[in-house]
Amino acid sequence: MKIEVASISGNKEIARGIWKMDFDCPNIANNVSGPGQFINIKVDPSWEIPLRRPMSIAGVKGEKITIIYKLFGKGTKMLSELRPGQSINILGPLGNMFSTSDKDSFPILVGGGVGIAPILWLHNELNIKSVSHILIIGATTAEEHFLQHNPNKNIFLTTDDGSMGELGTVVPTMESKLKEVTSRSFGIIYACGPTPMLKAIHRITTGYKIDCQMALESYMGCGIGICQSCVIERKNDSPKEHSYGKRFSLVCRDGPVYSADKVILSSRYFKVSGKKT
Amino acid sequence: MVDLSIKIKNVEFSNPVLVASGTFGYGNEVNELVDVNRLGGIVTKSITLHPREGNPPPRMVETPSGLLNSIGLANIGVERYISEMLPYYEELDTNVIMNIAGSSLQEYITILERVEGTSNYLSGYEINISCPNVEKGGLEFGVDCDLTLALTKELRKRTDKLLIMKLSPNVTDIASIAKAAELGGVDAISAINTVVGMSINPQTRKQNIFTGLSGLSGPAIRPVGVANVYKIFDAVDIPIIGIGGITSADDVVEYLLAGATAVQVGTANFRDPGIGIQIIKQLFEYCEEHNVPSIRELVGAIRDED
Ligand SMILES: Cc1cc2nc3c(=O)[nH]c(=O)nc-3n(C[C@H](O)[C@H](O)[C@H](O)COP(=O)(O)OP(=O)(O)OC[C@H]3O[C@@H](n4cnc5c(N)ncnc54)[C@H](O)[C@@H]3O)c2cc1C
Ligand SMILES: Cc1cc2nc3c(=O)[nH]c(=O)nc-3n(C[C@H](O)[C@H](O)[C@H](O)COP(=O)(O)O)c2cc1C
Ligand code: FES
Repeated sequence: MKIEVASISGNKEIARGIWKMDFDCPNIANNVSGPGQFINIKVDPSWEIPLRRPMSIAGVKGEKITIIYKLFGKGTKMLSELRPGQSINILGPLGNMFSTSDKDSFPILVGGGVGIAPILWLHNELNIKSVSHILIIGATTAEEHFLQHNPNKNIFLTTDDGSMGELGTVVPTMESKLKEVTSRSFGIIYACGPTPMLKAIHRITTGYKIDCQMALESYMGCGIGICQSCVIERKNDSPKEHSYGKRFSLVCRDGPVYSADKVILSSRYFKVSGKKT
Repeated sequence: MVDLSIKIKNVEFSNPVLVASGTFGYGNEVNELVDVNRLGGIVTKSITLHPREGNPPPRMVETPSGLLNSIGLANIGVERYISEMLPYYEELDTNVIMNIAGSSLQEYITILERVEGTSNYLSGYEINISCPNVEKGGLEFGVDCDLTLALTKELRKRTDKLLIMKLSPNVTDIASIAKAAELGGVDAISAINTVVGMSINPQTRKQNIFTGLSGLSGPAIRPVGVANVYKIFDAVDIPIIGIGGITSADDVVEYLLAGATAVQVGTANFRDPGIGIQIIKQLFEYCEEHNVPSIRELVGAIRDED
């Protein structure tokens, strides 16, 4: 864990409302362990925006880190206004990572909404290790996609309006692939995205008795375990009257990656939304 | 040479900048980022008799120049504090002050006695009295002079260590609460805890924090903190530790001028865990620039003349 003032080398819109930023931060880049980990960005040097903004790492190349972010509110807007050459204050690397298994597991990677970043990094890591896998990325419409739909390469894009790739959410596509994969070999699902999507994915993987690892989000005050704000509820069959850490888990330290069977997904838990822009 | 050191009771602080309870965990989370030994001291997360899970999320939301929180005293409980944290504090070269929270008079007493019964290197105790008293229908200790006095007296009997009462700003007359604590025999007052607040989402019409009512902190409450310190300074003769919205040395000086002997930095740690140490450096520069040989000269030294 380090704090570093990173120099921005690139920041551009790669699809509608989706931005990609690269910056040089050798100290953090050298300490990264793997996909799932995130950084916490001090977007605003003034107190206009009091808290840092957590962002998954979308890739690491040498001393460069890449993030992919969706314009949401004032913080991400401010991020999008930064230009190459300017600097930002980064805290990281934070959190745990997806635990990847042996070569023949044939995983399915599913990403949607702001959850594309860690999934893309995992996709690239698996490619480097020549682990065959399926990548499914969802968006509402074609303009929000920056990858190419390419079934031959096991890359499937979905759109809610059918304007690109498969029609519908990632869920039916995942289920149809799951049928193929389970007939081929044991599969595992790695997922990141909005809560309703994760819930639907979990329902299906439970039916197929397939492991599912999910990178989760929560409202983070610090990212480093000192504020106790980022909790998610664990599935706990034997709650005790007095406990700490048995019912709630700190997403910034214990997560963000959890086995889907171990947590209770609730939309109520991290929707503290202001206005959508 | 500038002297930043201060003393409260028999405890020496290398500088007046501490970190506030609940905003720096147990002091060991940020070792990789911060040399905590350079801080004047660490006030640890409120400890209760039993471990506590805290409130369901959402527990925090950003607000203009601050944030609301309702963590609900999530903590490891006194037994784990003793077995896991006290040995660590023994190795530190700064003051560690244990913050205690209770839901009844007896609970505060039991926690204090339990810790006093161990040989420990704590510099003292800070008592969080912004807690509902279950025996008095949930009335907070800190809003009532008699409850504050009774609690202070009972705790004073049981320790010779530095004993600090941490006051809530959500009262009609903070000076009278401070006086009650002084009468009960505390060594210092810290003020303020968070200010009651609320935030509702106009789109969904839902509360942004699970518990609804929550505590406001950060620069938004600094003037409230300064005003309360000023009122307490007028009312008591014991040292005051100023808390609320501190982000820089200028903010510290503001509190000292209003009457604080020391300060605690809270919410700002979430943005910059090393902010306390930066502030200490800035404070040194402030004193050099303004020819202040000892930081103690600033306490209560508001200038009246032109
Ligand atoms: C571990 C983790 C990884 C993430 N990775 C990515 C990513 O790779 N790409 C991406 O686009 N987004 C990611 N997010 C979400 C991202 O942090 C929010 O979209 C961002 O904070 C919104 O900020 P804003 O100021 O633009 O929006 P605001 O208008 O301020 O807030 C809108 C919503 O953003 C979320 N949010 C705001 N502040 C915080 C905070 N301090 N902590 C957590 N959530 C907050 C809340 O849900 C809030 O309702 C991640 C979140 C977490 C917890
Ligand atoms: C997330 C959070 C948790 C807190 N937890 C405690 C606590 O456990 N005990 C306590 O006495 N004060 C607690 N406080 C109050 C702070 O110690 C401090 O009094 C208050 O936040 C005002 O200072 P600030 O504006 O610098 O944050 C907490 C504050 C925050 C923001
Ligand atoms: S974000 Fe502060 S404890 Fe997790």
